[in-house]
Amino acid sequence: MELFDYSLFASAIRMVSPILLAALGGALCARVGIFNVGLEGLILAGAFSAIVGNYYSGSVIVAVLTGAFGGVLVSLLFGLATIKFKANPIVAGIAINFLVLGLTTFGLRAIFQVKGAFYDKDMNGLPKWDLPLIENIPVIGKLLSGHSPLVYTAFIAAILLYIFLFKTVVGFRILAVGKNEAAARSLGLKVTVLQYGAIVASGVLCGLAGAQLSLGQVTMFTEGMTAGRGFIALVAMMLGQSHPIGMIGSSLLFGLMDAMSIRLQGFSMPTQFTAMLPYVITIIAMFFLKDRGLESQASGQQSSR
Amino acid sequence: MIAVLIGLLTGALAIALIGESIFDTYKVMWDGAFGNFYFLTATLARATPIILIGLGLALAFRAGVFNMGAEGQMVLGAVCAALAALYVPGSGIVKLLSAFLAGFIAGGLWSLLAGWMEVKYKVQLLISTLLLNYVAVLFAGYLVAEPFQDKSGSAALAQTPMIDQAVWLPKLFAGMSVHMGFVIAVIGAIILYVVLQFTSSGYEVRMLGKNPFFAEYGGINKQKVLLFSMFFSGGIAGLAGTVEVLGSQYRYVEGALTVPGYAWTGLMAALLANSNPLGTAVAAILLAALQTGAMGMERNTEVPLEIASVIQGVLILFVTAKFTLSWWKVKKKAGDVNGAV
Repeated sequence: MELFDYSLFASAIRMVSPILLAALGGALCARVGIFNVGLEGLILAGAFSAIVGNYYSGSVIVAVLTGAFGGVLVSLLFGLATIKFKANPIVAGIAINFLVLGLTTFGLRAIFQVKGAFYDKDMNGLPKWDLPLIENIPVIGKLLSGHSPLVYTAFIAAILLYIFLFKTVVGFRILAVGKNEAAARSLGLKVTVLQYGAIVASGVLCGLAGAQLSLGQVTMFTEGMTAGRGFIALVAMMLGQSHPIGMIGSSLLFGLMDAMSIRLQGFSMPTQFTAMLPYVITIIAMFFLKDRGLESQASGQQSSR
Repeated sequence: MIAVLIGLLTGALAIALIGESIFDTYKVMWDGAFGNFYFLTATLARATPIILIGLGLALAFRAGVFNMGAEGQMVLGAVCAALAALYVPGSGIVKLLSAFLAGFIAGGLWSLLAGWMEVKYKVQLLISTLLLNYVAVLFAGYLVAEPFQDKSGSAALAQTPMIDQAVWLPKLFAGMSVHMGFVIAVIGAIILYVVLQFTSSGYEVRMLGKNPFFAEYGGINKQKVLLFSMFFSGGIAGLAGTVEVLGSQYRYVEGALTVPGYAWTGLMAALLANSNPLGTAVAAILLAALQTGAMGMERNTEVPLEIASVIQGVLILFVTAKFTLSWWKVKKKAGDVNGAV
């Protein structure tokens, strides 16, 4: 078995998409000054509602839509707590994670009468799309073709978000809110509306990430199936400096490490160190990339600066 | 109190949804947490690491730093304590003391690293502690999977060998799971309360958290206080891991500390109690009771145990919302006074 081959990179691209989608959602929140620790819960909600939608409709499109809707519902709750009731976003995010973990397990019991995992052979997974033209190019075709539509959506969403944030008026307003909320408010920007908008959009993105998780490889839902991906997305967001293109890079790094550590198990090598690498890189990167102080402002942390 | 009611109400709604009797279920839950002496001690045993984690975090919060790294600090403390108990030569008491020391120092240094990066290089502590969790948990996983793995058993589990019986923390009651660690946790809560409330260094910590500018103006060395708070905060979290290893697991087992979510529950306890050490201990016991109660409930009814995390989540959401609301009111009042003048 080779360490590096096409399938390694192909699986890395597949693993990237939920992380990238969620990281984009988190970045949108960060850009309006809300540090969203609840990504994990949002993804899980998306994964669960996608399966519910799939089970009752039998249609993949409906499943993806309900997945996004599930993410939006939970994100609205998060928005209500942080914006309307001025709860500390970090605490509210942690609470959301617990809440969704409980609710989905509960729903599993209430809707499907099963415990642990739900699988139904009649459910349809996401189709694999072969890209015309590209699939015929020797190396690149193998890498890029044959993924689920949501994988492509993730990368397109990153590019769209880049255009939206840096090339449109609304995007500039969002950046302004994140830079200085009070100043943005005094300029007459509808800060609250923008913040709700960003949170709902992040709910959609995380919901899609969840749908890719539960419908992408195998069509099933297991308790707590996000397994820390929300937090990894958070780290990818920090490493990418909440910049869409930067986050494509950082998510690819995490996806590659993820795929590598699975591959290395076949070599009976300690996988812990490869798994550790992205976090260490992020910490080192934080030495060099002086942040705008955005997250610390959002968390209300008073520290030595 | 309202938050507790709303949390329980949400739980009731969920129970009703899957068609179980609300009162019977809550009664089973209560019995599972406090029903008899055995369950009561099980609750207290579960509360032990949660109290210690909560205390460590409460100290950091009081100093105004958002330490999110309790999980890593606890795990490193646990694994170092286990290794010290295994490999330090000497009698049982020497091993015991060195295990405690190792656990405390390991957790403390890990936390200090984040504090140092914040003070020296302005690397945000909130984020770095979160990241260091992963590094610590993975590193501990490596230690018990490779160099220090228990090779004696037939199954190759990721765990250290069992530590010597002389190093075990004694159980408080024969046959019950609550151990000396609980006493340590309660004493720790009282000590922390006294230190924060009645000593000058405690005053410095609180002042730094309340108003860092005033603290500096008052001649407090901000960086020193912050570093000390972080060291002790992580150290106490390390102790949480230590007492779990010495009191109930008797070895470091990968995942035994992270899977039950002790660190996050401890964080919630500290937040529920608004970082008051004594209140944190009470909140930790309540949250532990919710969890053991839910386990009992799962054994006896059709309701899954995750209802505990639903109730916890709602509880925390409402507490934070309410807490900041009252804070906001105070601020508004202050604003009015200024306006009148």
